[in-house]
Order: sequence, then C-alpha cells, then structure tokens
Amino acid sequence: MSLRIGIAGITGQVGRLLIDEIGRAGATLSGGTIRPASSKSVPPGIATFTDLEELAAVSDVVIDFTHADVVIPNARALTAKKTAWVIGTSGLTAADEAAMQAAAKTIPVLYAPSFAPTAVLTPELVTTLASSLPTADYDVEILETHHKHKVDAPSGVAIAVGKHIAKARGQVFDEVAVLGRSGNVGPRKPGAIGFGAIRAGEIVGETSVFFLSDDEQIVLTRRVLDRSVYSAGSVFAARWLAKKPPGFYSMKDVLQGRER
Amino acid sequence: MPIRVGILGFTGKIGALCVGLCDGKDLVFAGGVMRPGSAKSLPPGATIHADVASLAKASDVVVDFTHGSQVEAHAKALASGPAAWVVGTSGVSEEGRAAIKAASQKIPVVFAANFSLGMNVMLALAERLGSALPAESYDAEIIDIFHRLKVDAPSGTAEEIARAVMRGRGETAEWEIGRSGHSPRKPGAIGFSSLRGGAVAGENTLMMTSRAEQTVLTHKVGNPRVYAKGAMQAVRWVQGRKPGLYSMKNVVAGDAQ
Repeated sequence: MSLRIGIAGITGQVGRLLIDEIGRAGATLSGGTIRPASSKSVPPGIATFTDLEELAAVSDVVIDFTHADVVIPNARALTAKKTAWVIGTSGLTAADEAAMQAAAKTIPVLYAPSFAPTAVLTPELVTTLASSLPTADYDVEILETHHKHKVDAPSGVAIAVGKHIAKARGQVFDEVAVLGRSGNVGPRKPGAIGFGAIRAGEIVGETSVFFLSDDEQIVLTRRVLDRSVYSAGSVFAARWLAKKPPGFYSMKDVLQGRER
Repeated sequence: MPIRVGILGFTGKIGALCVGLCDGKDLVFAGGVMRPGSAKSLPPGATIHADVASLAKASDVVVDFTHGSQVEAHAKALASGPAAWVVGTSGVSEEGRAAIKAASQKIPVVFAANFSLGMNVMLALAERLGSALPAESYDAEIIDIFHRLKVDAPSGTAEEIARAVMRGRGETAEWEIGRSGHSPRKPGAIGFSSLRGGAVAGENTLMMTSRAEQTVLTHKVGNPRVYAKGAMQAVRWVQGRKPGLYSMKNVVAGDAQ
C-alpha cells in the first residue's frame, strides 16, 4: 500500500501545491483539513475534514503548513493518532517549539523553515569550498539574480552564503564584504568577499559563488526553477519521515544520505 | 637529496610544463622516453632513455602524461621498480585501470584524472550531492569543454565526476554518452556532453536538476600549469611511500603513511 499523506490546511497556498506533488511522488492523498466556515473549494474527490484528528486517523504522515496559532492543538491531534508530522509553519513561539519537542517523544516530527533540498545543503557545500581552498590564493565573489520586483540587494541568501564563507575562513564578514562596486574602487583587497546583484525579468532566484585563483575557477550555482521546490521538498521529507521512529528531525537529517 | 623525476610524455603539453617545474634543486628532470622517429625537439639537457624500464632505474618518481592506450605497457614496465608512478593520463580503459591497480601492489602509484586542487574539492562536493539528492528526482548531467586537439571524450575528469556521484548514491548508473537521434533520458542515468574547440584548457560541469531546482558546479582551468603543479605536489608526496594506489585526495589531505 502506498504511503497515505494528509494535508493540514489544504486550501492554503502551499496546501494546494501539495495536492499535485503527493500524486507525483506516487503517494496517496488521504485528504485535507479546511476551516469550518471556509468558502474555498477543494478539487472534487478529495476528502476534507474540519478536525485534524480525523485526518490523522486515516494518514501515515500529515504535512502541516498552517499557522503558528494552531501548532499546540495540532501536536495534540497527531500524537493522539500516532501519525508522523512534517511541519513548515513559520513564526513559531517558544511554547510552540516546546509542543513540537514534546510530541517528538511519541511520534516522528520533522520541522524545517525551508524544504528546498539544495538550499539546505548550500551552507555545507560553501563551507567545504572555503575551508579547502586557501584564502590567499582563491578570491570569493557572490553573484545573485532575482526578478525585477525585488527591492533589496544583495539578497538575504547571498549574504547568508557570504557569512558562512567568512566564518569558514576565520574572517569577520562586515570587514571583508564588498556589497556592490561602483566608480574608482581600486584593486581588489586580499581576502575580500565581493557581491554582485542582477535584477531582471521574472527569474525566481539564482545564487552563484565563485572561487577564483590565478590558475583555476570553481563556481557553485543554485537555481530555483519553480516555486513548487518547497512543496516537493516537504513530500520528500514526509516519505523519509514515515520510516523513522519517534524523534525530532530536520531537513539536514533527510539529506544525510544513505547510511554509511 | 633532490627527487629525480622521469617524465613520460615530456614533449606533450602538460609533460613540458612538468619539465619546466623541475628547478634542478629539489626536483631534477631525469629524462624521458621518445618514440622512434619522433621529430619533437628536446628540452636542453634532457636524457633520452631506451625504454620505460631504464627510465625507471634513473628516477625516483616517473610522471606519466601520455595516452590511455599506453597505460598497460607502462604499468608492466614500471611494476618492477624502483621508481614511484604518478599517472595523469586521460582516457584510461577498464583494462588500464586494472593494470594500474596491479602495479600498485609493487610500487607506490598516484592515479588522478585531474591534478588540480579545485577539481579535487569539486569531486568531494559531487559525491556529497550524490548522497543527498535522490537519483529518481535529480538528473545528473556532466558537460566537459576542452581544446580542439583533445582526442578522447568524455574527459577523464568528467568520468571521475560521474564516479563520485555514483559513490554518493551508493549505486551504479547507466552512462548516456553523447546523445544523438531518438534518445530519451532513462531514469537515474548520468548524461555526458563533450564540446571541443579553441584552446580551452579544461572546463567540467556537473548539473543536478530536479523539476523545481538546479545545482550547477563548474570547474574551469585558466592555466594548464595547475595540472603540472598538482602533479609535482604528488611527486613530492609519493616519494618514499609504501606500495599502494593513492589518489589526489590523499595528496591534497597530506595523508601520512
């Protein structure tokens, strides 16, 4: 029997994307929860529930992108039915986190602020590059490309990548970051981390890290091709979590790869 | 004591750069072997040996940047020692790899498809991507771009990247090399495209693409001396080691015996 996945908040933005994603992954959609007075429609043939516990009873895993307000009752509903819980809700309080941790004693719980697999991997990959390639020989530049509607630069992702690199090289980020060059800026300073920002069209998001020496270049690029990357990642996580014993997990655990 | 470095393929591009890195102080060029009738000019002071076995006798380490078809003969000649062997030849067949392995029972051998530091870091990342990203959702494609004179395809480095991905996945994959005609992608396969032109010193790319995201890792050589430098780093490292098959990973990590 294929894995039964339920969607908490099936009429939400991510919830709607998950309907297709679960089918694509070869799992069975066991249904979704809706608010009691919801006027939003759900595609025909999908079971809907107003009570999460009823959905949990017919699911092996529930994927939850609802609201921080309902984390504590959700934890109660899922532990009551011993159903695994993948949660991507943002804006959690300390009490919410405690409720997730408590639930993890009874059921497998996976919490992630982002489910895009390579976004989760990127910090590790850039840290490997920065610690293997000597700062004296390899100049680091970061280039990010986003849609024309984005107003801030460099992107938060680019800055985060720069901070991971600075940390791996034993540098203070604010001392070495060059956030956009203009005019007679003089020659590149040794050890600098330079940034470039491109704004064009409707590009979802792209970040490249360059390590440049006199003799060679290494470039690592990550590109989002479709916004469904987040929902796809949560289904991937659900399939992984279904086989796990009770405990509190993250996307890092999912990406640890095969047992070595 | 300086290390005596014999160089097979010393008139070739990388071989000649290796000769140039033998400064006569800690690295001394011990000569090479020349094909009968070769019209190539010799570097000043070069000693030409009659065959590979006699070059080995005059060397501490033999560096080999020749042709994949010669690897088995070189392995046989070098196995009786006393020199260590640093092999950077591209286009080595399965039989060639087996011959290298057999020789490494008797002499220390460093075998690498690519001697650059950056490429060896890239291979580590390729293995990690293979272990993290499931083969059924992430298609692996490898592109190599080299100068117009390169004769083998895909590049030895491109194949090495594919092996790293397969190690990470923990399973072998079908290789789709140079697609042409009706050739739909098989699930889990690794695809290869080789471009040749100009004087490109070497560019290898790994793409891991899912329906929704893509990670691209590219290594470009700006100056081929990066290979010669890495080979000389391997020479210094392998000198005096126990027999065994080593990789650039060991050299870069500065592994002890």
